[in-house]
Amino acid sequence: MNPKIERVLSRVQKPARYAGGEWNAVLKNWEQTPVKIAFAFPDVYEVGMSHLGLQILYHLVNERDDALMERVFAPWPDMEKEMRQHRIPLFSLESQRTVGDFDLLAFTLQYEMTFTNVLNMLDLAGLPLRAQERSAQHPLVIAGGPCAYNPEPLADFVDLFVIGEGEEVFPEIIDLVKNYQKHRDREKFLLQAAGIGGVYVPSLYLVEYKPDGKIASIKPSREGVPERVTKRVVKNFDAAPFPDKLVVPSTEVVHDRIMLEVMRGCTRGCRFCQAGNIYRPVREKRPETLLEQARELVKSTGYEEISLVSLSTADYSQVARLVGELLDEFAAQRINISLPSLRVDAFSVALAQEVSRVRKAGLTFAPEAGTQRLRNVINKGVGEEDLLRAVQSAFAAGWSAVKLYFMIGLPTETRADVEGIARLARQVLETGKRLGVPRGKLAVTVSVSCFVPKSHTPFQWEPQDTQEELNEKQALLKNLLKTKGIIFRWHDSRQSFLEAVLARGDRRLAAALEEAWRLGCRFDGWSECFRFDLWREAFRRTGIVPEWYAYQKYDYDDILPWEHISAGVSKKYLIDEHQRALKGILTGDCREGKCSGCGLCVTLEIAPELSGGKEVAPLQGAV
Amino acid sequence: MPRYRVQFSKEGPARFLSHLDLVRTTERALRRARLPLAFSQGFNPHPRFSFAAPLPVGVAGEQEYLDIELEKNISPKEIISRLNMVFPEGIRVKEARPVSDRAPSLMATLKKARYEVEMELSGPLTNSALQGCLDSFLALSAVEAATKKKDRQKTKDIRPGIYRLQGKVEQKKVVLEMELQAGSSGNVRPEEVCRGLLEKCGLPVLLQTCRIKRTGLFFEKSSDSRESGRTATEE
Repeated sequence: MNPKIERVLSRVQKPARYAGGEWNAVLKNWEQTPVKIAFAFPDVYEVGMSHLGLQILYHLVNERDDALMERVFAPWPDMEKEMRQHRIPLFSLESQRTVGDFDLLAFTLQYEMTFTNVLNMLDLAGLPLRAQERSAQHPLVIAGGPCAYNPEPLADFVDLFVIGEGEEVFPEIIDLVKNYQKHRDREKFLLQAAGIGGVYVPSLYLVEYKPDGKIASIKPSREGVPERVTKRVVKNFDAAPFPDKLVVPSTEVVHDRIMLEVMRGCTRGCRFCQAGNIYRPVREKRPETLLEQARELVKSTGYEEISLVSLSTADYSQVARLVGELLDEFAAQRINISLPSLRVDAFSVALAQEVSRVRKAGLTFAPEAGTQRLRNVINKGVGEEDLLRAVQSAFAAGWSAVKLYFMIGLPTETRADVEGIARLARQVLETGKRLGVPRGKLAVTVSVSCFVPKSHTPFQWEPQDTQEELNEKQALLKNLLKTKGIIFRWHDSRQSFLEAVLARGDRRLAAALEEAWRLGCRFDGWSECFRFDLWREAFRRTGIVPEWYAYQKYDYDDILPWEHISAGVSKKYLIDEHQRALKGILTGDCREGKCSGCGLCVTLEIAPELSGGKEVAPLQGAV
Repeated sequence: MPRYRVQFSKEGPARFLSHLDLVRTTERALRRARLPLAFSQGFNPHPRFSFAAPLPVGVAGEQEYLDIELEKNISPKEIISRLNMVFPEGIRVKEARPVSDRAPSLMATLKKARYEVEMELSGPLTNSALQGCLDSFLALSAVEAATKKKDRQKTKDIRPGIYRLQGKVEQKKVVLEMELQAGSSGNVRPEEVCRGLLEKCGLPVLLQTCRIKRTGLFFEKSSDSRESGRTATEE
């Protein structure tokens, strides 16, 4: 270990975050590997190491002879202080080299509240923040992940964004970097990169504004640069590269288990959900493939738990069969199977019951809204009876705690909808009592977040509720939920407000983002670190009105800040869905065989891949 | 059930693992080693293994001990080689030998631990001045050290738990070797000794630069000498 780093590690909390040396970490020969990539997760180690995408790309790149990937995470404030004081630049875990020595610095953007950490990591690496101030002696800074679907707030800081699934695009970028190493002409590289499908080079686009502040146009500034960048997706997901080894953290991380990705995408079509739109189409792996992958991973990691991950695992066509076969194979080795999310129905509870010998943690359900009317608006096809039946099965099966997720601030929400949340929570509590769950043990946790309108969803045109409105709704719920047995948890409306600003913002936000970072904003998603006062000050100093972004109601004709980025879902579909939402009309799941006309399969020349499920024929006229 | 006493070292990046991290890492390594692990009973079975003494975060260990229970006999050589293939960087197994399944636990028989402590000097120091300092420290009849129990400040006397204390000056550093009481009662931490040396005898050291290595564990002698760590017989 580098002695300077080692000395500092003795003084910080949780030094294992920075020590490296974990099982299955890959340390390649630096001199003999042409392309060096630092994968940067702009949050703390325990969060970053819980991210499956990191493991997939780490494996994909390190399998190649001509490239290496090492990891770097955001240092916690105590470590940052030590690093600045002792002039230790941001370093990778594997070789403890400074990040500035790598060819590519690749950020994953999982949530907006990590943006100041991105800037902080650039600065700690000794790189100029702004892309235009960097030169060929600096690494290329790239970024991907869900927040790259509205990349504009980070447009001035990042050289290129990857829109869509990294497995598809990364190999092409690596090849282009090898070429770049011959000529070292950044501009030439970026221009060529812009020709790769799914690559967005923000410096090659010109944004003009109207007098009212809205966007007048977003246009490529050079020939050969596409007007619209469409996401890339993996076709034949069953055969997609998947790691046979995972880096096994030595210290406890948030998701500390084998993550077996059973499918990608979700077709439920919840209208607030960005993931449901950007990860389309739904693609399942075959149970045989998954069983084989599980076998390999159990051997190579030593983990005692396998989690079946996806956006909605209970929807996986072969889930019952897969769970049964995994249990048969691994029970003797005392390996547990777990399901990260449950659908609101009895089937899901039965599944959970099958996999868990111990009813330790409570079960979590997400009805999202308190009344049937509002659940129809958001296309959450869940009835009150579904929820009550689900919790009945849960209590009957021996669980005594359930957690319910809701949102407030959804479009068209009224006081009755908010009251509906409390009413539903009380019904769940009553169900528990009726089924004889012991008083002291019975617990219903009601977790309420604030709706944030996200890009590429039918609600992208909708404004966010004001902080005052959200606070009032929270106060109302606090009052209504004052009951023994109910635990009420809510989200800081100031954080949700900032999330909305960053999620809906354009390039002009760069100034405020940079100023907030200069003032000391870091880890904005962590309530103990969040400094809304500093953010306010940053907006004031840069003359940016954050309310304008969060509370803006867009027209269908407006050019949205992310208009030039396509998730493959047609604008016509999003408008139709928005209209249906306002009328409270449900839209079916295309998994059932009836295409809902989102236009994605036609645009991306792909089809849903269902394992033993139905064929879905896309509506041709939908785009 | 066959029980094996394993001696290992914990250095390099692994020294930054907490005891809980080490437990977790060991369970996964044992699973990767595909040894016939004995599991605990109950709803949530875990492989049966136990350590002699937790190592604090940041403290390296040269000769640590761990007992592992297996369902059948495996040659110690095989255990060593399998474990060394699956432990992460910094954890190395040096020895393994069978112990009686009736042998008392490592934790119960632990008596003393030996440490090597390095600190940077805050001022000039000769070897003879250091020796004088150590002698006067050891001549004290009691050394109070602050402890914290449930947010209540208390003090304890660490002097009876200091069995040996030696040192030398190396360039701008002082290197101390100490043998201290370890285990469930009367445990003395090397930092407490260092603080005592600074406060009681004015040893010119920078406490925040202190780097600690545990170099040995000493166990109570039992009738069957095979049942304790090798180093136990030294004193």
